[in-house]
Amino acid sequence: MTSLRRFLARLGNFVARRGQDERLSEEIQEHIALQTAENLRTGLSPVEARRQAMLKFGGVEAMKQDYRAEGGLLFVENFLQDLRFAIRSLRRTPGLTAFVVITLALGIGMTSATFSMVDGLIFRPYPVPHPGNVVTLVSTTHDSPFDHFSFREYLDIRDKTNSYDGVIARAEMEAVGFSTEPAATPRIKGGMMVSGNYFHVLGVEPRLGRGFREDEDQVPGRNAVVVLGPDFWRHEFASDPSVVGRTIRLNGAEFTVIGVAPDSFPGMLTFGIPDFYVPLAMARVFTTNLQKNFFEDRDDRELDVKARLKSGTTLEQARNELAVLAQNLEREHPKANRGRGATVYTLLQTRTIEDDNWKFGVIFVILALAVLLVACTNVAGLLLSRARHRTREIAVRLALGAGRFRLIRLLLTESLILASLGGAAGIAIGYGVVEWFHSKESIVFMTELPAAVPFRMDTRILLASLALSLLSAVLCGLAPALQSTRVDLVSGLKSAEADLPGRKRLWGRNVLVVAQVATSLMLLTASFLMARSFQHSLLDGTGFTKDHLLMVKFDPRLVQYNAAQTQQFYKQLAERVREAPGVQSEALTQNIPMGQDEFYGLAFVPDGFEMPKDRENFNSTMDTVDEGYFVTLGIPILRGRGFLASDTANAPRVAVVNERFAKHYWPGGDAVGKYIRLDSRTGTPVEIVGVAQTIKYQSTMEKSIDFVYMPLAQHPIARMVLMLRSSGDPLQLVQPVKDVVRTLDPNLPMLQTRSYEDLYLNAAVKGPGIAIQLVGTMGLVGLLMAIAGLYGLVAYNVSRRTREIGIRIALGAGQSDVLRLVMGKGLVLVGMGTAIGLAMGFALEQLMNSMLFNAGGVDIVAYIIVVPSLFLVTMLAAYVPARRASRIAPTQALRYE
Amino acid sequence: MKQKTDVPQGTLALMVLKTLDVLGSLHGYGIARRIEQISGDLLAVNQGTLYPVLLKLEQEGVIASEWGASENNRRARFYRLTKEGRKQLQVETQDWEQTAAIIGRFFEAKAEDLS
Repeated sequence: MTSLRRFLARLGNFVARRGQDERLSEEIQEHIALQTAENLRTGLSPVEARRQAMLKFGGVEAMKQDYRAEGGLLFVENFLQDLRFAIRSLRRTPGLTAFVVITLALGIGMTSATFSMVDGLIFRPYPVPHPGNVVTLVSTTHDSPFDHFSFREYLDIRDKTNSYDGVIARAEMEAVGFSTEPAATPRIKGGMMVSGNYFHVLGVEPRLGRGFREDEDQVPGRNAVVVLGPDFWRHEFASDPSVVGRTIRLNGAEFTVIGVAPDSFPGMLTFGIPDFYVPLAMARVFTTNLQKNFFEDRDDRELDVKARLKSGTTLEQARNELAVLAQNLEREHPKANRGRGATVYTLLQTRTIEDDNWKFGVIFVILALAVLLVACTNVAGLLLSRARHRTREIAVRLALGAGRFRLIRLLLTESLILASLGGAAGIAIGYGVVEWFHSKESIVFMTELPAAVPFRMDTRILLASLALSLLSAVLCGLAPALQSTRVDLVSGLKSAEADLPGRKRLWGRNVLVVAQVATSLMLLTASFLMARSFQHSLLDGTGFTKDHLLMVKFDPRLVQYNAAQTQQFYKQLAERVREAPGVQSEALTQNIPMGQDEFYGLAFVPDGFEMPKDRENFNSTMDTVDEGYFVTLGIPILRGRGFLASDTANAPRVAVVNERFAKHYWPGGDAVGKYIRLDSRTGTPVEIVGVAQTIKYQSTMEKSIDFVYMPLAQHPIARMVLMLRSSGDPLQLVQPVKDVVRTLDPNLPMLQTRSYEDLYLNAAVKGPGIAIQLVGTMGLVGLLMAIAGLYGLVAYNVSRRTREIGIRIALGAGQSDVLRLVMGKGLVLVGMGTAIGLAMGFALEQLMNSMLFNAGGVDIVAYIIVVPSLFLVTMLAAYVPARRASRIAPTQALRYE
Repeated sequence: MKQKTDVPQGTLALMVLKTLDVLGSLHGYGIARRIEQISGDLLAVNQGTLYPVLLKLEQEGVIASEWGASENNRRARFYRLTKEGRKQLQVETQDWEQTAAIIGRFFEAKAEDLS
């Protein structure tokens, strides 16, 4: 109790410090005055009376110290004192201070920005209560560690497992036509089908109305209810609270709004933000795959299944249980589940296994940390040279009895200030980078579905940045502080530039420079490699023509066409636009190459192929196209033929495969005339009638992949993209297409009408360009830092050895001798740094090749360009101060103290 | 070197409390004089050490202080015992007497008493 009161009183005193000091002085004065008066009465002379009084009182300063120690918070006061002193001494060297702050800001800024990337991609918990026990259940095959489940499988899992407090399912976010009035043309929004227990199990409480009830997800097509996403509600309904109970139209069908999800729940996706949720039971309104029956087909795997692990159940137990279930399913449904297992993933596993985006993030974090390391070593070097200029000051302080610990604290306070300033500026830079990413959202996401870059500077990132700043303060402050407080007092006091002979003192700085040269070389090679292999891929081309193409996407499901109507529509559309003015040729394709949508997979067995025992079929990527496709996109047919108008639904089924596919399965012979069977060895036979040239399908840097084309007439797809080759500006074709569509159905919306080249540039060139820009910037920043560091080291060396150089010159050394003397060391350091950097760059290249893309072997050219230029630049940094040294006038140098 | 003023802090604090208990409100010099008179030369030098002790006691709430006029009519800080201080003085006096009694008995004890 008393100690608490004392602490509070001290805290009060600390704030009212001034008043207390005055009070004490006054008391002392009064005390001495009274004592003096007393002494006078005993007959002493006034002077002696006062002297005796003061003697009797004792040491005033020591007492004041005690008094203060008693009255205030010593630690905080010392800290504030250090702070004031440090700020004063930093302000005396504004240039250096600014440089250090900027250097640290760049390092910390880059790191915090990349942290926010990695956090958004893999670490950030789900936006639900108790996110830690939400796990993902996946189906696994030989080819994929991450496959979805079919609706039937989901029901099995939900009903036959005991490890969970609820098992939920959702489909991918789909483009859905949304309108509020029956007459209005629908607009594309992102809808997601979820199981009836979705909100309940996740613990998400709607901000308005209610979530789904489980019985609303039981009878297919019965409950047309929808829960709106918070942003959608805000934008489309102006936050109208009376929206609950209203009817809206989704893909032409009426749905009743029953609730609005809270702001805290933007959905479970990393990038996408669903506009609204509907029950799985309404799948017929939304289904994309016309070939499958969502509710019955066990191989229609569209559902992402998640569950809340029961408390007390381990992940291992859940995995075992699911594995057993998967075995049972394999036994009961050998056709659909042959070779299929299942397992349970944690959040981190889910995010890292599902896709590869995070790897970019991790590479960037490594690079940013490298930049930060360079920054810290640089700052440490600068502080070290500064501390050397202060040798005398520090020697004096030590001689006057300052404790070494106290001095180290003072010096650390300085680097703490620097790091805090750098950290603050760095966080600002981080914000800038994240904002920049958001400004590139339109390039990154070209879908019409709502999506957002998940990077943001939230509390977690701010805390991490703060920790980084502190860490860098210690990193760059401790070494200089330790070293500079270890001065030899006698020599330190004698000369301002005390320097002990021996190499030990400079050892640390040399290591710094070597490290800097090495890391920046590594960064530069990395960015150069990325840029070069990207350039390569661009130059290699994609294998098809990209210019003079207009693309328009159609989805007749938006206006409730059935399968036959859809087929009819595309047939008529193709026929009529072919006649339109300015159209050279026409193509319909399910997916455009290099687009954002993923190609479908195709399960097949090459006819007569001996399948491995444990495999039911192989997988390939596929696209559905019409007969005009290969001509319009300029994809050469190497053997056989492309599709013809005669490949109708009633004709024998045919397919065109790409060259890689042909060589893959028929390495010796000709693929044309061979058959593949769909799904299994007893499936529908499809004849391969042609082999098309392999092109780039998904990204500029992809390795070539197997690919199969199916004719639209035999493999109907609802959602297709019309591509038109024009003689002039492709956008001039927009009006003719509109006219044609209007004659077919005035209500049918034209989606994503744009020039294909424009989309291609965004998707395939500008997108990856962003990554290269980032790495390149880091490399350049790193190089700048290395140059500054090397320059600083050599310049410092020169100033330290000014007298020695003067003597050498006086004794007859020529300019070139001095130059050699001073530069020799720099040369050695740069050489060592280059060697290490080469090794590191080499390792990084291997890593990037294995993680991102296959650029082939070692890119010699990159090294041939980067290494000498780095060498040259760093030598220049050493040359400038060396040259200055060679011009030192001996008279001046010898007098130099 | 023998430092006369190295009075254990607790002891000095107790003296201050007792002085204020007996004499009522007093300024720092007055307290110092009184302790000097009673304890001989214990506080003859380094009277200054009194002030940190006063501050500590005040922060503990056992004494309170306010400005007043001194004998030569100047501003001086007067200290007085609070209710809590009085209580504490009582407790500490008892403790002290008990301790002193025990120590005293030990010193008086002779070998045969312990056998």
